[in-house]
Amino acid sequence: MILKKRRIRILCLRIFIMAVLGTWAAVVCLVMPPGIVNAAQRETSSFKLPAYEKITLKNGLTVYLMEHHGVPLIYVSAVFPAGAVRDAGKSGLAYLTAETLLSGTKSYRKKQIEERLELLGVKYYAYADIESAGISMSFINTDQDKVFPLLKEVFQDAVFDPAEFEKRKKRLLLELVQEKEQPSMVIGAYFNKFVFGSHGYGNPIYGTRASVKKIKSIDAKAFYNAHYRPEESVLVIVGDFQTARMKKKVQELFEAWRSKKKPPPLERIPLPAFDKSRVLLVNKSDATETQFAFGALGIPRNHPDYVAVQVVNTVLGGRFTSWLNDELRVNAGLTYGAGSSFNTYKDSGTFVISSFTSADTTVKAIDLALDVLNRLHTEGMDQETLTSARNYLIGQFPPLYETPGSLASLLAATFVYGFDESFVNDFQKNVENVTIEKARKIIAKHFPEDSLQFVLIGKAAAIRDQVRKYGELSEKDIKSDGF
Amino acid sequence: MKRFVLILLAICLLAGASPICAMPATEDVHIFTLKNGMKILVLEDHAIPNVTLQIFFKVGSRNEYPGITGLSHFLEHMMFNGAKKYGPKMFDRVLENAGGSSNAYTTENVTTYQDWVPESALELIFEMEADRMGSLALDEKIVESERGVVLSEYTTGYENSDYELLDDQLRSVAYQAHPYRWPVIGYESDIRNWQRLDIKDYFDRYYAPNNAIAVVVGDVTLAQVKTLAEKYLEPIPARAPPRAVHTREPEQRGEKRLFVHKDVSSPHILIVYHVPETGTADYYALDLLSAILSQGKSSRLYSALISDKPLATEISTYMPNALDPTLFYVYAVCADGVSVKTLEKAILREIDNVVAKGVTGTEIQKAQNNVVASFYRSLETMSNKADMIGTYEIFFGGYQKLFTAPEVYRKVTAMDIKTVAAKYFKKTNRTVGVLEKSEGK
Repeated sequence: MILKKRRIRILCLRIFIMAVLGTWAAVVCLVMPPGIVNAAQRETSSFKLPAYEKITLKNGLTVYLMEHHGVPLIYVSAVFPAGAVRDAGKSGLAYLTAETLLSGTKSYRKKQIEERLELLGVKYYAYADIESAGISMSFINTDQDKVFPLLKEVFQDAVFDPAEFEKRKKRLLLELVQEKEQPSMVIGAYFNKFVFGSHGYGNPIYGTRASVKKIKSIDAKAFYNAHYRPEESVLVIVGDFQTARMKKKVQELFEAWRSKKKPPPLERIPLPAFDKSRVLLVNKSDATETQFAFGALGIPRNHPDYVAVQVVNTVLGGRFTSWLNDELRVNAGLTYGAGSSFNTYKDSGTFVISSFTSADTTVKAIDLALDVLNRLHTEGMDQETLTSARNYLIGQFPPLYETPGSLASLLAATFVYGFDESFVNDFQKNVENVTIEKARKIIAKHFPEDSLQFVLIGKAAAIRDQVRKYGELSEKDIKSDGF
Repeated sequence: MKRFVLILLAICLLAGASPICAMPATEDVHIFTLKNGMKILVLEDHAIPNVTLQIFFKVGSRNEYPGITGLSHFLEHMMFNGAKKYGPKMFDRVLENAGGSSNAYTTENVTTYQDWVPESALELIFEMEADRMGSLALDEKIVESERGVVLSEYTTGYENSDYELLDDQLRSVAYQAHPYRWPVIGYESDIRNWQRLDIKDYFDRYYAPNNAIAVVVGDVTLAQVKTLAEKYLEPIPARAPPRAVHTREPEQRGEKRLFVHKDVSSPHILIVYHVPETGTADYYALDLLSAILSQGKSSRLYSALISDKPLATEISTYMPNALDPTLFYVYAVCADGVSVKTLEKAILREIDNVVAKGVTGTEIQKAQNNVVASFYRSLETMSNKADMIGTYEIFFGGYQKLFTAPEVYRKVTAMDIKTVAAKYFKKTNRTVGVLEKSEGK
């Protein structure tokens, strides 16, 4: 299901506004009152990643095992090199493959899988994103012998039943229309397509209608055979178990899994470069507000400056008191939230500033956001602001890895993106190492100043003439297929 | 403490994994009441060097009236905009500088403030929470800029969610009298027109220590929390308890129907039934029934309307936590080419089927197993623990109920579920809302 509707009648002070773009709301602080200690800096016991074991099975599958005995649950996260970058012209194929992965195997039909897992209270889902596909599960530890054999079949013998596939595909075709009725859901896809172009990172994860219509269950089966392979996949298990016993179980269950064929080589399209600013205006004729996102290409996840970039971005747009949120929301009252984020992939990434405002304040809000970005370059930040951002990142770090589920995702990410536990163990040190001088260098190197790429979704007739000034203008209608 | 729990858990597992044995246990939660009537609940948890403080004020949109709808939520925003010691912007700046973050939310029933900090900032959050609770500034100029923020929140909510639009309209029809009939965010005209004095009155009436509870979970000791609560929160004077919400929704006397126009690709349908408030005798059976109807792909509605016949693209059921009698929601979106009439008929057929034939033992077992698993999952983070403890204290008549909930759910029988289904899922008790492009002729 790609549409997430808010079911709970709760209004929050701050939402994680950039669910789509992958970060949260943001910003500013200039002066600290005297006498406030830097609490986070006083922390001596810095947070370390719990012990884990990493093994490679004979078939090449990498396995991470981490004991975590808080509650009697086991978390499994399996990640395959089967994301939308591998769609190879069949936009939506990786997603549909993941979506139908659990709809039948050699010995279990779709209903049997669902009934078995749900009877046990298992939480499970399969997904595909830009670079990977995966399955995540959590279940009560005493049920592991009922869950693992099924998981084994899903890895090796998914069948992609044509009838089930067609049902899911039909729903997806409608969902692709529905998601455009919620601009915040699709601005990320428009932005990625606009900046990455024909590079795989521009592929819309859920596909386009024209493409999805043509995909058949045999395409999914072929995609599965080519890309769900042990050599480049990872299986992470975190929870209430004993490592030695679990290791044995994993070997027995998963070692016989063999890849079925060699994957086609990933098409290496060069990353685009921009020498001028461009504006994509997406017309939504009944819109009363404008959603906007602008930025440029960013850094890959394993870039050595990753943590330092997060420190600077915390100041710019990574927390509630960040400069962007302070100017656009707190001072000007133009929006419910504004922020910036670095979305990182294996070989590249994006830097995006985003917010939303009513149609008549669109230019005012974008100008203000541009001023803030400009201020980062011309004035930089003072020591107090930097210290506060460092404290914030350090203080908020441990809860990120408090649960077995989040630890499983982290371990999977280390495998996929090529970093290791030093990210966690040296996090505090690396944050503290960002000095004013270093921040200045990071800003110059990683925060774009010009040739910015803008995507706006709103009522084109109302804003077209005013937003032309940001760059070379092109237009689409939100109702036309694709991004 | 941690070691003790692990041993306890091991014993529990040997004994057959009784859900009661999950950590933490009732006796791990400490409760004390300050002289001003404010209740403090504490759970020590040393898993990570952090702590969360969550303060629940017993005020929400149910305490409002036309003219000031949305004020509970607006006041929630103003709580971040300056008090006596920590002036405008200072709350967030000081908190984030100390490595902390915060959020808040407003519902029909409660307004909750949540702080997440490294344990070293524990005293700071007590001081800052006491500052804004005891002496909020409500600066006139900031009221105006914050009005803009909330109007943006109002617009973006409806712009990005058809569900929200339909739900807000539908409640105005399902409820004739009770304040649950207006949206938490309020009516646009009220947001534009309330005055500082309205906010001040509202604050004075509801933000009293005796109208709040605080939950602390994290790397702290009970003694530490006691000292800080006595130092910072206890001096805030108690006030006359706010007047109770006495409006009761009169019995519905026939099906009500609503149509909302919006240019959407496929129709949405929302069906609601009046049901009792959270924690009452029928609550647990209704909650299990909700799971049986829509939780997971093997649930009744999902399999009938999505897996077997492609009638809907999504389906869900839901019952909010509520202090007063509330609604049981059934929500669905039509699949391509399916008329809303067809979908409504199919949903009602499934519901009538439960009323007539009840549910199976396997279905109940599945729903109960999911309750137990969710119970464990809900106790994984400090933040969730604090939220659950506060929620049970306010909505279920005591935090202790959190720990006995799995047992209570286990006692629900097939007959109980059939009985509640028959009692509430009646045509006369139903309101049906449709959001669609055109009403037709």
